[in-house]
Amino acid sequence: MCTRNRIVLALFVGCWIVSAQPPATEARSSLKVDFPKDSPVAVVGFDMGDSVTTTRGSAIVIDLRTLLTLRNAGSRRLRGVTLLVSTQESAVGGRASVSVPSLNVEPGGTFPVRINLRLLRPLAPAGPLVTVTLDGALFEDLSFFGPNLLNSRRSMMVWELEAQRDRRYFKSVLSASGPEVLREKLLESLARQAARPRLDVQVTRGRATNIDAARTVQFAFLGPAGAPVEPVAGSAMVSGGEARATSLEVINRSKRTVRYFEVGLILRDDTGREYLAGSVPASDPDLNLAPGARTRVTQDSTLRFMAAGGRPLAIAGLTGYVSQVEFADGSIWIPDRRALADPRLAEVVTPSPEEQRLADLYRRKGLQAVIDELSKF
Amino acid sequence: MKHPGEIRLTLYAGGELGWWEQFALTRHLHRCPACRRRVEMYRNDRKVISEALTGSDEFADWERLAAEMTANIHLGLAAGECVEQARAERTRPRWQRAIILAPIVLPVLVLAVVLLRMGQNPTATGKMDWVEGTLIETTGGSIEWRQGTAGLSLQIPPGGAVTYLVNARGEVRARYVDEETGQVTIHNVYAQ
Repeated sequence: MCTRNRIVLALFVGCWIVSAQPPATEARSSLKVDFPKDSPVAVVGFDMGDSVTTTRGSAIVIDLRTLLTLRNAGSRRLRGVTLLVSTQESAVGGRASVSVPSLNVEPGGTFPVRINLRLLRPLAPAGPLVTVTLDGALFEDLSFFGPNLLNSRRSMMVWELEAQRDRRYFKSVLSASGPEVLREKLLESLARQAARPRLDVQVTRGRATNIDAARTVQFAFLGPAGAPVEPVAGSAMVSGGEARATSLEVINRSKRTVRYFEVGLILRDDTGREYLAGSVPASDPDLNLAPGARTRVTQDSTLRFMAAGGRPLAIAGLTGYVSQVEFADGSIWIPDRRALADPRLAEVVTPSPEEQRLADLYRRKGLQAVIDELSKF
Repeated sequence: MKHPGEIRLTLYAGGELGWWEQFALTRHLHRCPACRRRVEMYRNDRKVISEALTGSDEFADWERLAAEMTANIHLGLAAGECVEQARAERTRPRWQRAIILAPIVLPVLVLAVVLLRMGQNPTATGKMDWVEGTLIETTGGSIEWRQGTAGLSLQIPPGGAVTYLVNARGEVRARYVDEETGQVTIHNVYAQ
């Protein structure tokens, strides 16, 4: 073998040895579950299941299959929790959360929270790579505990108010029209959920490198009646299935100062089909919109939508509707069931988490299970 | 295998090369019987001529003459290098060329090994060419956050239907009913 070949072989062997180092860390030591000591939600234990850590070249891949068992250590019924999942990359992004709303856990009761995640990162120094902490816990009296780093209080309040609204609705159907009508309503809900087309989405901050010519598409707006804020104008730059530079102008029609609002975003494709894509939230974290005042929302993220399976989607129109408003005193407005019965909204708006849970309970266990569940609240 | 020229072999046989070239040529001779035979031949010739001229008046100052011939050969070599620099570079020993190329070859080799060993290189499998910087996307059963070679995905257990919603601030949400626990579970991944 000539000298050059020997050198090349030696380099290859060296690289192989370096890249074939054993995993830097075991899966269990990759995870740290760290709740505050005074937390009203305590960690009973966690099962790592078949979590694995593998090394791929200069990167480490951690597949965590975790089932946390948590206990309501408070004195009131627990309605929901949000867990913050952060990684060592959190300084530059990479935060996630897992929320479980629509709970009904009595004091001392336990419940599971499943966290399945995959982390891919360059080979790291020792120490936990993923940390799970409590961001918020909401109780039956709408009291909240937690650092609220993700604004989870607002989300959990919205989910709980929607749950109360929908349980009231189903209870009223049951008491006014009987079990068979309740069954019909649950079947209708399941049918709507099944009929809703699924969208896949990509989102990035700032402008994409897509160089297709973009056009400005103006928003159309739907009720709902009674919304405290009214969108009066809006637009986005649209190119194919991509929307960016979303801008909305709203007026506070209520008599109270508004701290936050969200406008639901409905897309219409070139075949006329409509999809609920998400929302445009208020962009100013220090918003204090006085009664009668106007404000403009601008978001610089770029959203790219695809029909399920990656099929391209051409955005032909955008429609907005006010989906939630938070007032300066922390109280929250959500549309009522009558407003959501608008045929265009009913067709595209997703059911609340509670309606989804009750309909799924009916699918798995039947009508009596739903009636029993409603009687617990 | 490239063989050294006659002049170098002659100088080698007389022990008149620089130590570096001497070392390189010795390594070549270890694996080249043909050149080794020629060096032996030159050494024998040198010995025979030296013996034949011993005592001759015509070549009484043999040592001076040998030094003069060596100087002429070196002069010829230097002149040749000035005229044909490229040729001189071509005849650089291979181990020297390997050292020169190592800074280029080494990173390429390291990159090749890393790419070969990374079964799922994110920049190769995803849609990273669409944007620069942070990207969040929904895939069949997860929400994935990617930035450079780092990535985080929250994965949804197989089973029921999943609803994905995006927030124009840069958050992506997935909602599903966990088939085992019956609980509605909501995943959020944040761009910042």
